[in-house]
Amino acid sequence: MALRTDAPPAPGGPATRGCRPESARRRRRGYAAWGFALPFTVLFAVFMILPVGASLYMAFTDMRGADLRSPLAVNFIGLDNFVAAVTDPQFQQAAGNTVYFVGVAMPLTLGIALLLAALLNSGLTWFRSVFRVGFYAPVVTSIVAVAVVWRFLLQPDFGLINSALGLVGIDGPDWLTDPTWAMPSLIMLAVWRNVGFSMVILLAGLQGIPKDLYEAASLDGAGAVRTFRSVTVPLLRPTLLFCAVMTGIAYLQFFEEPFVMTQGGPLGATNSVAYEIYNQFGFGDYGLSAAMSYLLFVAIAILSFLQFRLLRPKN
Amino acid sequence: MIITSRRAAAATASTLVLTVALTACGRDDGDAGSGGTDDAGTQVSEGPATGTVEVWAMGTEGELLPELAEQFEADNPDVTVEVTPVPWESAVQKINTAMATGEVPDVLQAGTTLMSGFVELGGLAETPDSIDSEAFFPGAWDTTVVDGTSYGVPWYVETRVLYYRTDLAEQAGVDEPQTWDELKEFAAGMQDAGAEHGIALQTNGDGTALMYFPFYWQAGGEIVDDAGEFTLADDAQVEALDFYSSFMADGLAPQTLVEDEKVQDFIDGELGAFVSGPWERSNLLTTAGDDFADKFAVTALPPDEQAASFIGGSNLAVTAEAANPDAAWKFVEFATDPEVQVDWFEISNDLPAVQASWDDEALAGDESLAVYGEALETARSTPALPTWSEIEHELNLVIEQVVNGQLEPEEAAQQMQDAATSIGDGLG
Repeated sequence: MALRTDAPPAPGGPATRGCRPESARRRRRGYAAWGFALPFTVLFAVFMILPVGASLYMAFTDMRGADLRSPLAVNFIGLDNFVAAVTDPQFQQAAGNTVYFVGVAMPLTLGIALLLAALLNSGLTWFRSVFRVGFYAPVVTSIVAVAVVWRFLLQPDFGLINSALGLVGIDGPDWLTDPTWAMPSLIMLAVWRNVGFSMVILLAGLQGIPKDLYEAASLDGAGAVRTFRSVTVPLLRPTLLFCAVMTGIAYLQFFEEPFVMTQGGPLGATNSVAYEIYNQFGFGDYGLSAAMSYLLFVAIAILSFLQFRLLRPKN
Repeated sequence: MIITSRRAAAATASTLVLTVALTACGRDDGDAGSGGTDDAGTQVSEGPATGTVEVWAMGTEGELLPELAEQFEADNPDVTVEVTPVPWESAVQKINTAMATGEVPDVLQAGTTLMSGFVELGGLAETPDSIDSEAFFPGAWDTTVVDGTSYGVPWYVETRVLYYRTDLAEQAGVDEPQTWDELKEFAAGMQDAGAEHGIALQTNGDGTALMYFPFYWQAGGEIVDDAGEFTLADDAQVEALDFYSSFMADGLAPQTLVEDEKVQDFIDGELGAFVSGPWERSNLLTTAGDDFADKFAVTALPPDEQAASFIGGSNLAVTAEAANPDAAWKFVEFATDPEVQVDWFEISNDLPAVQASWDDEALAGDESLAVYGEALETARSTPALPTWSEIEHELNLVIEQVVNGQLEPEEAAQQMQDAATSIGDGLG
């Protein structure tokens, strides 16, 4: 803000007495500042603060779909929604599934992305852009098209994956309809879909590491593994942190894959927190789903905080 | 002084706002959520309709309705009908938003299972007494009634019947099943004749309960009793769950049905029979070619204690805040006239909700349609409760567990009842 703070007016009278021009000028300047800030402030208030405030308000009320016409005529019920959410067995299962998904898919995504980036950075220089496009394509492809293709791949009888497994004598499972295999199938899909994003970022990070550091390492007699551990990883920390946070945020909101592939089944094995929220909104339980959303928000905040602690650059 | 007085004004203003907000909070006691309009009994005037009627219709109906609207405009020269097609996927959200903001059309095509939600929002007008409920299939009329009051008129209906391979049935020497036992023999016969599975029944996901409930009704079960209490934990439930899951347990139906494979398996002769609605015929013929029509037929689901199937379709409703309610109701009356219903059947293939229309040659002359006509007389819908979609979701999960053998029917019936009562009927 452009308000001058170096000479605060004494409380009470001085503003109306004595130094009138000074105060008028200051006020005019204040107006001008607010005038410049107004477009952003209004947009921010209307499209950010208001919806966030409204959802927080919802989380503490018993609002239902039918209250849309008079959203203020609802009862405050304190933390009841939050209690209902955490004691609901379906929400617990969904939370467990989400942890399972994030716990497996996130390290897998980052690991594969780092491996691919390292390979593209060193070996496959000729076809680098071809591979880069190839691995990035799933990121920009619509999940709807992806789902159709993957459902064919995962078909129990004549799907490509089980046919391939059949060639080596393995009787593949019913990927999407077996409670044990449904989540691994979706993890596979999610990793395939998202690895390109982290790979491109990590590749850029790798290309930003000065070549002379590698030369120095090789002069010191460091092998490939040692170089990777002592040069690449430390210098890549900020990039890794960025990828981990972005992937973590996206994966905790695990929704599209179960939505298009399994509808949360079989036996709730792929139901996620975000999917449960979606369902509850659909049922008109706005209060409950808003409360669940805030629980998810807290989980995301905690995960991001941990990642920052773990991966922050060490000075 | 200026500053302080302005501050005081601001403080007063914000206190006022807060007070207003606080007093506005909290529910009104009484009829919150009962919905509907306050004016007692809608009246429809005499004479032709005038003005503009805005109609929202979904999917195929939205595309074809202008053809029918032209007739209405020809009968009523001073009226203009504006049809807005709405995709089914976004229909509920769009209509809810419209009702919340008051920017509503005059007439709305409302899926039979969506009625209670719109009524809960207070978005639909009561049906005028001049419309005769007796003219419609009883199951269809029931879908318009929420908490004792009707909020719309049945427009078209669909119901589920058994599609089966006639060639396999002939080979196995089995006739169309007339009882539950015969249905199992029928499925077993299909397998003897070479099908991998005799029948396909939905095992999980959305719609499982709708596939299952006809069996519950056939066994004599009722979802809610006359007093509006849930009665899901009864013997009929145990019997029906046991029967339904026995098809999977005995290997007569796929343990987990992959919906995408159903039609192809049926065409390949890998599947002997499945339960579906009238739309499946054209689906089969476009996939397998017109010659396939000789290889399958439809028959009603066999009764146990009684005959029952699921009735679906759409109602026409007039919104509570319609700009032109008089002409809107006239349009609804027109669309549900027995003769116009036959015209609409010829335009859209939608089955008439008016019983008299079924005497028309266009419908009475068709053998497979007669199966639907008969099934519709005893078909019924799930209760029109604002919370039904949530209850149905829970029931889907319970049925899935029974089918998977993780839950005994007795226990499952009790879980269904507990889930339904804990969610409640939402009628307040």
